[in-house]
Amino acid sequence: MKIIVNGKEAGTKEKGCALCGATWGEYYDVIDGENLFFCCDYCALEFKNMVNEVKNRTRWSKIYELVINGNYYTGRTCIAKSEDKEYKFYVKFNDEAGIETFKELT
Amino acid sequence: MPICPSCEMEFNTWDDLAEHFNFMANVKSNPSHVMWLNRNISTRRMEVHELADKLEEFFSTSEGLAIWIRSKFIEKFYGNTPHPFIVAMQNPTRGVLLGYVIEHQHFLKNWVKVLSSIVFKTDRDDVLQYELDNISVEFIGRNGRLSHYELLLRMGEAVGMPREKILSTPPLPSTQSAIRSWRNIAEKRTWLETMAAMHSLELVADRSLVKYGARLPYFNPEILSSDQYPQAVKDFLREGYEADISHAGTALKMVERYAKEMTEKVQIIVLKSFDAFSKYLLARLERGFEIEPSLIGRVVIYT
Repeated sequence: MKIIVNGKEAGTKEKGCALCGATWGEYYDVIDGENLFFCCDYCALEFKNMVNEVKNRTRWSKIYELVINGNYYTGRTCIAKSEDKEYKFYVKFNDEAGIETFKELT
Repeated sequence: MPICPSCEMEFNTWDDLAEHFNFMANVKSNPSHVMWLNRNISTRRMEVHELADKLEEFFSTSEGLAIWIRSKFIEKFYGNTPHPFIVAMQNPTRGVLLGYVIEHQHFLKNWVKVLSSIVFKTDRDDVLQYELDNISVEFIGRNGRLSHYELLLRMGEAVGMPREKILSTPPLPSTQSAIRSWRNIAEKRTWLETMAAMHSLELVADRSLVKYGARLPYFNPEILSSDQYPQAVKDFLREGYEADISHAGTALKMVERYAKEMTEKVQIIVLKSFDAFSKYLLARLERGFEIEPSLIGRVVIYT
């Protein structure tokens, strides 16, 4: 999965956390068959919950690209891509890394 | 003495604090420490010495605690990426205003409860008088003027929501979470920390922030003379516009005067309060999304 966070590629230790882009920390989690780098287990859980939500809503089996813009303060506006399809959404997480708000964008 | 702003452990030097952060963030991947660094210093990992310098610079109060609080507030809410609710308030729609009303009624009720804890705990007469005055202005009304709470409800009615509907709508989870944070501060912290945590938030409507570097005002002041908004909207906004410049400034001067050896503790609690406030401001906007679904397309961020 290609991941772009606030304009920069992410998901490896060198490039930054797959959710927030930070290069602090060292936590890995396998998501959609890929070993992704996260700054902490919170970001990993949030990312996993977000990917599952998108797959549930789109019925896609795999996400090929995820573009994430925003942060804790603004909520996150994202574009998920799979083959030739695109799905835009806004997401905000709660204090337990669960999804608090999820809105499809047209 | 440096204090860890995440776990509040005390250290002798900034190098020691930076070593602690390095261990907690980079060895333990501790979410609370990593999040604090991300939100306040940088998302970019740095060496211990560089981090020590950044932490010392970040917490420096060379111009006084009140100025430090003001500058951090501006950075967080009015800096390069202003908070989306403040951006929405430059041209507020019915959804934005109703989101404001519905969530803010809960904020204001909690506000006076928390201020009452300062009244209960303080041993300073000027603080007692200040907080009682503030409670009167916000919730009771004074000198024949309506309270901010009443003005808020009238704004909601003026943009089309009956008072009963406003009052019977529970807060969104983010508002509840923010309120829990402030109640926790009121219950567990000193009156001084609570005072700093709460009154620093009144900076949001302080129109002098632009003079200190804010990129935009709390709302477009042309609204106050515009025909596009009902009088009750203008009355509510004008009240905050005129009151909060003195509220926040006076309170922060008191906090600075009494903080003395507690400066670092006050700084840490103010930052925690800012995080809660950011979450709460976003809840106002998300309530607006429910009322006016097209709003989300106008305020979300793409780069």
